[in-house]
Amino acid sequence: MRILIIEDDKQVASFISKGLTEAGWNVDHADNGKDGLFLAATERYDALIVDRMLPVVDGLAVIRTLRASHNSTPALVLSALGEVDDRVEGLKAGGDDYLVKPFAFSELLARLEALMRRSAAAGAAPATVLEVGDLKMDLLRREVHRGGRKIDLQPREFQLLEFLMRHAGQVVTRTMLLEGVWDYHFDPQTNVIDVHVSRLRSKIDRDFPTPLLHTVRGVGYRLDTTP
Amino acid sequence: MRLPALFRTTIFQLTLVYMALFGASVLALFTFIYWSTLGYLERQTEEIIEAEIRGLAEQAERRGLVGLADVIAERVRRDSERRSVYLLVDAALRPIAGNVTHWPERLDRRGEWVDFLKSDGDGGYTPVRALVLGVGPGFRLLVGRDVRELEQINEVFRRASVWGLGLTMGLSLLGGLLIGFSAQRRLAQINRTTRQIIAGNLSQRVPVTGAGDEHDELAENLNAMLDQIEKLMAGLRHVGDSVAHDLRSPLTRLRARLESLANEPAPSREDLEACVVQADALLATFNALLRIARIESGAYRSAFAPVDLGRIARDVCELYQAAADERGITLECDAPVDALVVGDRELLAQALTNLLDNAVKYTPDGGRIEVRVAATPRAYTLTVADSGPGIPESERERMLERFTRLDGSRSLPGNGLGLALVKAVAEQHDGRLALGDRRPGLVVELELPAAEPDAPSARTR
Repeated sequence: MRILIIEDDKQVASFISKGLTEAGWNVDHADNGKDGLFLAATERYDALIVDRMLPVVDGLAVIRTLRASHNSTPALVLSALGEVDDRVEGLKAGGDDYLVKPFAFSELLARLEALMRRSAAAGAAPATVLEVGDLKMDLLRREVHRGGRKIDLQPREFQLLEFLMRHAGQVVTRTMLLEGVWDYHFDPQTNVIDVHVSRLRSKIDRDFPTPLLHTVRGVGYRLDTTP
Repeated sequence: MRLPALFRTTIFQLTLVYMALFGASVLALFTFIYWSTLGYLERQTEEIIEAEIRGLAEQAERRGLVGLADVIAERVRRDSERRSVYLLVDAALRPIAGNVTHWPERLDRRGEWVDFLKSDGDGGYTPVRALVLGVGPGFRLLVGRDVRELEQINEVFRRASVWGLGLTMGLSLLGGLLIGFSAQRRLAQINRTTRQIIAGNLSQRVPVTGAGDEHDELAENLNAMLDQIEKLMAGLRHVGDSVAHDLRSPLTRLRARLESLANEPAPSREDLEACVVQADALLATFNALLRIARIESGAYRSAFAPVDLGRIARDVCELYQAAADERGITLECDAPVDALVVGDRELLAQALTNLLDNAVKYTPDGGRIEVRVAATPRAYTLTVADSGPGIPESERERMLERFTRLDGSRSLPGNGLGLALVKAVAEQHDGRLALGDRRPGLVVELELPAAEPDAPSARTR
C-alpha cells in the first residue's frame, strides 16, 4: 500500500508518516502543493493525504486538478482547527473524506482504511447480502440472522450494523458512525453513540459464544470474527 | 498653503454662503424699489419733455422758425417754476431763443437723450436732461428739464442702499458666526470627549444639554454606542479571563502529570493514555470556543437554507433515546413534519444536541424529558423540558455565558460552553432563547422565525 502525504507542517507530516510506516505502509511526502501534484499525477498511490493550506498550490486545487485529469485516487483532506465547516467545500473539490486537526492517529488510520476499501469496492456490483462470520444481513429483505436465528433490529440499529458490516475488520470511530449513520458532522460530545452500539451488541452478541462487535479502547469499534 | 483654521470650518463657510444669499436678496429688493420709485419719476420727466418737444415741432411746422421762437419765448415767460429748459440755435450754434445763454459745451448722450450741466450764472450748475430736434435748415431745438431733484433723490437712495447693504452684511456675518460658534462649541465638546475615549478613557460620555435638539440626539446616539462598546469590551475581557482561568487549571494538571511521568523510568501505558484523554478534553474545549466564535462571526449565515426543524428534533431525539432509556428516563418527542425554518441543519442539530445532553445529564434516573416543536403564527418554538433540578432564576441569564457552570454541577463532565453555543446559534438564526422553570426542572425555549412559504424547498437528505 502506497500513500502520499502532501503537508507543509513537518511535525504533522512526520507524525503521520511514522504511524503509517509502523502500520506497514509505504509513505511518500511532499511539503508543497506543486511537488505534491507532480508526484500524485506521475506515480500510482492507493491514497492521498492532503493538507488544505499549502504553499505554492492550495490543497483543494491539487485535488481539483487531479480529478479534472481523471485521477480518482482517494484523497483525505486535512484542515486546521476551527475550519470544521469547510468540509462541504473540501468534499466538493473532490476530496473523499475530511479530517480536522488536531486528530488522533487512530481516527486518521480508520478513515484511510475505510476510504481505500470504498474505492476498491467501487467497481464491484452492489452486494445484497453482507456476511461477517455467522452473522448475515440481507439488504433486500432487511433481515439479520446469526447462526440461523433471526435477530429483530430497529431501523436505526439496522443502519448501524450495516455500516459496521460494510467496514468489517476495520476500526470505526464514533465520529464516523455519527456521520455515516446519522449524517451529522459534529463531535458527539458524550456517550450517545456508545449506548447505541452497546444496545446493538446485546442483540447480536449476547446469546452467542463468540463476540463479533469489539470495542477498541479510546478509538471506537470493530466488527470482526477475531478479537 | 492651507487656509487658517477658521476659514476651513463648516460654520465659516456656511456663514459666507448665508451672507452672499442675504446680500443678493437685499440688493434685489433695493433694485426693485429703485425701479418702481425713482424710475417712475424719471420716466415722468422724460414724458413731459417728449410732449413739449412734440408740441414745439408742430408749432415750427405750422408757423415756421419765427413762430417757434415766439412760442419758446412765451413758454419761458410762463414757466414760473423755472424748471424747463429751451434753446433754439442756428447752424453756427448761435442762440436764437430760449432760456439758456449758449449751446452746452458737453453733452452726455444716452440714446436719444442728452444730459448736460446748465450754468446758473452765479457759478452753480444745474443738471439737465434734454432732447435735441433738428428744425429747418441747420437749426436745432433743445428741450429739457431740470433734474436736480431727481439726482438728489438718486444720491440719497444710493447712500441708503450702500449703508443698508453694509448693515445687512455685517448683521448676517455676526448672526452666522454666533449661531456657528454655538454649534461649533457643541461639536468641539463631542470631539474632545471622543479624543479622550480614543486615548483610553472609555467611561467618558458626551454631555447632553437636555435641549432635545439634533446635537442632543447625536450625543445620545454616541453615548448609546459607547455603552454598547463598553459592554462588548467587558464581555470580551470576561471571555478572555474565563478562557485563561478555565484552561489554566486543566493545563496545569496535565503538565504536573507529564512532569511526574517524565521522572519515572518506565511510565505506564494507562498514565500516558490518561494524559491523551486530558489533552483531548482541552482540545474539545478549544474547538467548542472556536466554533462559538465562528458562529458568532456570522460565517454560517451565507449558507442558510430552509430546513425542517421537526425532522432535526426527531433525529436528535432518536440519537438520545438509547442514552435516556439506559437511565430509565422517558424521552418524549412531539414534532410535526415540515416545520420549516431558515438556518443551518448542523448548527440547529448541535444546539439541540447540547440541550438534550444537558437534560439527560441533569435529569435523575427515572425522570422525564419532553422535546416539542410547536407552531406559532410566524415562528416555531422548540422546547426541551426536563425533570432535573433546574436553574435558579437569578442564575439563568449567566448560564448562557461561556464557562458558567452551576456550583453543584462541577463534578459532572462538561466545559460550560453548551448553552453558550445554543445562544450563539439562536442569535445567528434571529431566534429567541429563554430558560424557564418547570417546577421542578428546566424548560429551554428556542423560538425560530418560520421560513417564508415561497422559500426554496427544504434540503432533504
